[in-house]
Amino acid sequence: MNQTDLLIALQSDVDCFSGATIDTQLESLPRWDSLSILLVISHIEANYKIILSGQQIRECRTVRDLLNLIPTS
Amino acid sequence: MKTTLKNFKIRAIALSTGSITKSYIEDGLAQGIPQIKLERISQTIGLNFRKTAQNNITTLDLCEDASRRLLRSLDLDISSVDAIIFVTQTPDYSQPNNASLLHGRLGLSQDSMAYDISMGCSGWVYGLHQAALLCAHGGLGRVLLCAGDTLSRLTNKLDQSIDPLFGDAGSATLVERSGAEDTMYFMFGTDGSMSSAIKVPAGGSREPPTSKSKEEMKDKFGNITTQENLQMNGADVFNFTLRDVPQAIQAVMSYANYKVSEVDALVLHQANKYIVQLIGQKTGFNPNQVPNTVFAKFGNQSSASIPCVLIDSMGEALTQKPVKIVGCGFGVGLSWAAFAGEIGPFIVCPIQPYPQTP
Repeated sequence: MNQTDLLIALQSDVDCFSGATIDTQLESLPRWDSLSILLVISHIEANYKIILSGQQIRECRTVRDLLNLIPTS
Repeated sequence: MKTTLKNFKIRAIALSTGSITKSYIEDGLAQGIPQIKLERISQTIGLNFRKTAQNNITTLDLCEDASRRLLRSLDLDISSVDAIIFVTQTPDYSQPNNASLLHGRLGLSQDSMAYDISMGCSGWVYGLHQAALLCAHGGLGRVLLCAGDTLSRLTNKLDQSIDPLFGDAGSATLVERSGAEDTMYFMFGTDGSMSSAIKVPAGGSREPPTSKSKEEMKDKFGNITTQENLQMNGADVFNFTLRDVPQAIQAVMSYANYKVSEVDALVLHQANKYIVQLIGQKTGFNPNQVPNTVFAKFGNQSSASIPCVLIDSMGEALTQKPVKIVGCGFGVGLSWAAFAGEIGPFIVCPIQPYPQTP
């Protein structure tokens, strides 16, 4: 999957990403909050079988940073 | 670590909640939070109503009320209770412990034990194990297990990420020695390296309360806390519930040689509706095997939440017949405690708010 596909999959589960692009700053998303962080962890765990730490997510600045945490194989 | 116990049984269970009913949406609107935001969070994690205690009511009061109702329902001679185990992290004082205070209030015999166990959301399972151990191997006949917290006292009312989650409750469970050979299987785990994930940083011996520990800080989401408030790193706690809790449940089931299809109910600590649902899915249970309505009615009740599920969601079955359950408490520590076995039938006292409104 390329990053666009990963983003589309993420958007289907986590509502705060609707309208976002790969370059969107996470802090600029109105609904980027603690609930969204849980939904991201849950989405990535369910689809890619990896559990991201809170620290990994806190270090992300853009949607791209977040998608880069997903191993592409 | 895993362990088994037999030759004990649960005789009765009771629970008292705080008497104030709070509505997540109404309270949020009153704080000026947009309705659309409140509804999104409410729908996802199941925040709806919760019961909190009046300012002058403590965990001890709630557990005393539950204990009195429990002892009345059994028509039990109080002198036949050999021990009180009190599981709480919100005791009345740092000294003496809540168990001794309750011993005095209930008028137990001097020939008895009374001690606290400082555990949160995994605590009822720890208490059950301890009470069962005393009955099965310690020569005691009856143990009163109290478990509960008034966490609403520790949260900052302006911390929207934490305060709306918690309700206040105190439970009482009577455990007795018995000739029954049924085995209860336990699986305990701890991750102390993650102890900061749920924490009240100041107010204990390490960081005594000072004017600085009462200073309010605002996070980037606008939530306000002090160092004396309960703080939680939601993402780290969530990771732990996705990783360690399902593993513990699967491990205790394999230890007990239980298949999902033969289990009547998976009884989980009601952290929130979303987490309970996810753990049920990850462990292969059908949603109708996983009671998940307690959080929306009462909030996260810490160590009282598993007894609350037993009464509120399974009370009718438990008064009538043995029920095969798998359960898991998980939270502050980080700590998790899973169990598997048959319980019931036993006396189930109705959930009541304390104090009762006239």
